[in-house]
Amino acid sequence: MRREYWRWVVVICCGMAAPMVWASAQFAGQALVPPPPPMDFMLQAADGSEFRLSQQRGKVVVLNFGYTFCPDVCPTTLAALSQVRTRLGAAAKRVQVVFITLDPERDTPERLGIYVKAFDPTFVALTGNAEHLAQVRNLYGVIAEKEMDAGISPEYLIAHSAYTYIIDLVGQLRLLFPFDMSIEEMSDDISQLMRG
Amino acid sequence: MRYGRVAGVLLVICLSGIVDTVAADSMGHGQSSIQLENAWARRTPPMAHQEQGGHGGSALNSNNSAVYITVRNHGSEPDVLLSAATDAATTIRLDETVEKDGLMVMQPRPQFDVPAGGSLAMKPGSYHIMLLGLKRALNPGDVVHVTLIFQKAGEMFVDAPVK
Repeated sequence: MRREYWRWVVVICCGMAAPMVWASAQFAGQALVPPPPPMDFMLQAADGSEFRLSQQRGKVVVLNFGYTFCPDVCPTTLAALSQVRTRLGAAAKRVQVVFITLDPERDTPERLGIYVKAFDPTFVALTGNAEHLAQVRNLYGVIAEKEMDAGISPEYLIAHSAYTYIIDLVGQLRLLFPFDMSIEEMSDDISQLMRG
Repeated sequence: MRYGRVAGVLLVICLSGIVDTVAADSMGHGQSSIQLENAWARRTPPMAHQEQGGHGGSALNSNNSAVYITVRNHGSEPDVLLSAATDAATTIRLDETVEKDGLMVMQPRPQFDVPAGGSLAMKPGSYHIMLLGLKRALNPGDVVHVTLIFQKAGEMFVDAPVK
């Protein structure tokens, strides 16, 4: 009788522990397993300073590519990332959101700075010369195509991949957030990453 | 006495008008089965509109945004949103954000279908009314006046608050 009791305790405990172990390895975003080696780059911040990714160690870097004339996708993502920071509370101090322009022709540093700070004063916007920007896009597999035939000449829109790239505290690209992830999912993934 | 009754009727008409404008004004064909809900326009960051001193707006000082509206069709027949107009932007376009080969693309749509007894929910990353070349900055508290032309319901007006 007593032995049977213990057997049930073991079964129930295992049953409870299994999903916890499983959950600890689960992200809502797309995890890169194993993560690629740290990919460093240097670009110009909107305030004129140099931004080097490797200097952000100790922070989770949330990287997004877009442009300030973006009518729908980019502002939706940036507004969501601002809410993610709010949801993270004090932990948000260790989260750096970085917005890299896909449109250096029109996105002047001044314009970029005003743009991202309107979403969150802690956001950093980056630009650079066309070659450097293309190198960074290639590192992350970002695609961007100008749409000149949008019927709005001489202006244009840019079709682009809309992932957000999550780089952990030691500079490794760990997660890709697709456009449709919820604020809760994104902040839970980031806190999980910060716990290590 | 008679004037009192007329005034009363007018008052009722005025009040019903106010109630109507909360959702939308219909200038269409009598009783419309189309209802416009949850309209909003996305605020724009404080770009150089003001700094320009108000003369027009070159591409560099302009901006783009979008309006989102839920269109509900209480009728038994489908309706079609054919076009939209606003004084807030130089170009307005019915659009859908779609993913195509890993790219998020703004796909112009000639019309938005609103099924009978159903709705069309515009939202970020999906159907929206794109505003290109804004004539002014959109700040929270502002409203964007939008005119929608439906195939059956005709012309409808909605004030989309900026959020």
